[in-house]
Amino acid sequence: MEYQHDIEINGEDKYLNICKHNGLFEKEKDSKDDTDSNKLSHIEKAYTTILGELGEDVDREGLLRTPLRAAKAMQFFTKGYKETTQDILNDAIFDENHDEMVIVKDIELFSLCEHHLVPFFGKAHIAYLPNKKVVGLSKLARIVEIYSRRLQVQERLTKQIASAISEALEPAGVAVVIEAAHMCMVMRGVQKMNASTVTSVMLGTFQDNPTTRKEFLDLAIRK
Amino acid sequence: MEHSKQKQYGSSENKETGHSSVLNGHFDGTVKRPAAGPSLPPAAESGSQRPVMESWREERTRSVEDNEMSLPSLAAAYTTILRGLGEDPQRQGLLKTPWRAATAMQFFTKGYQEKIIADVLNDAIFDEDHDEMVIVKDIDMFSMCEHHLVPIFGRVHIGYLPNKRVLGLSKLARIVEIYSRRLQVQERLTKQIAVAITEALQPTGVGVVIEATHMCMVMRGVQKMNSKTVTSTMLGVFREDPKTRDEFLTLIRS
Repeated sequence: MEYQHDIEINGEDKYLNICKHNGLFEKEKDSKDDTDSNKLSHIEKAYTTILGELGEDVDREGLLRTPLRAAKAMQFFTKGYKETTQDILNDAIFDENHDEMVIVKDIELFSLCEHHLVPFFGKAHIAYLPNKKVVGLSKLARIVEIYSRRLQVQERLTKQIASAISEALEPAGVAVVIEAAHMCMVMRGVQKMNASTVTSVMLGTFQDNPTTRKEFLDLAIRK
Repeated sequence: MEHSKQKQYGSSENKETGHSSVLNGHFDGTVKRPAAGPSLPPAAESGSQRPVMESWREERTRSVEDNEMSLPSLAAAYTTILRGLGEDPQRQGLLKTPWRAATAMQFFTKGYQEKIIADVLNDAIFDEDHDEMVIVKDIDMFSMCEHHLVPIFGRVHIGYLPNKRVLGLSKLARIVEIYSRRLQVQERLTKQIAVAITEALQPTGVGVVIEATHMCMVMRGVQKMNSKTVTSTMLGVFREDPKTRDEFLTLIRS
């Protein structure tokens, strides 16, 4: 069901489409900026309703501007929808004759669980084996930002980061590991304080060659 | 009618100090529902004699039925938010999200429905001839920032010097739960916990320290990952006697 939706969005390669799954709704992308303030006010009104329904007094001092602040905060937490990898990567791909592993680890990551609209946060570790093209290091962290600042599912987030790097650089292999704590599990529901979720995606050499994978995991994950 | 009660309430509070303590939830006790639970008598006329902090005796009356009745409008509000953010509320992952998010938010504010006397304190106050410090530390706390509706989490350390009456230990943690599961400001939360214990037990002194991380500072805005906010309230002998305070602070650090 998910995959069919993807193919409707754009008829490209099905594998990569899985990763484009939670992009902006097509028609939203084309909407002009002057409806942005419209959207903000809709979200603001929705938050006012929420506060009232929770039994709070919307007119008390501490809550007077909360709907606006919460709406802006929510827009910030989902700003990844408006950003594309093209925007940030274009200038920072360099030709280097380097084919050893490049790892950027402990990239802080903050996202929103798409099921409960509650944050989850943790660290991402990214590695790739360049194939004549290397990327500016901060761009890996920026790619994490683009995909994490959305309503996400950790599995999909990991995959989206891996495929974005794959598409942009065409490296010999990409590996992404994310370990995160989900507030929806910590603050509510099963309420396990110390549980953390680890997801990983291994592409190319990282998938085919166990030694490469082991090297990455030793370097990035072992303290 | 409701509004005028609230305004009365608000203005009597402001007379006290500039405290924004028409506290979270303590207006006249009724939720805006026709079938609301019992409303507390407006206490506004005695406003000038009241302490700045609300007594925990004026309790919220959001009920389980209120929760169920609010769920559809909460879910509709969340659907609007999803659309406003540019997402597609019909895609598989988001289909039931408005309901889940609404229930989650009600859980995060369940402190508004819990009654301290009935649920927490009645049976668990014991007469003991103990007058040494009792500390319960590292109580995990989860709250919601009332300014951004984003989680706050951290630890609470509570100490008190009993005056012939001790409290069941888990009740201290339950008091933390009741006040933290609300839209809060960390300063107010600390004070509310301290005042609740004082009023329940009349101890010689109470100290409450909270260290918490505010997601509104970590995930957005100034984005400082490792910052923590520490607030404390010292009442009674904890405030007056530096040695007692020192002992408390040392013991919670160890």
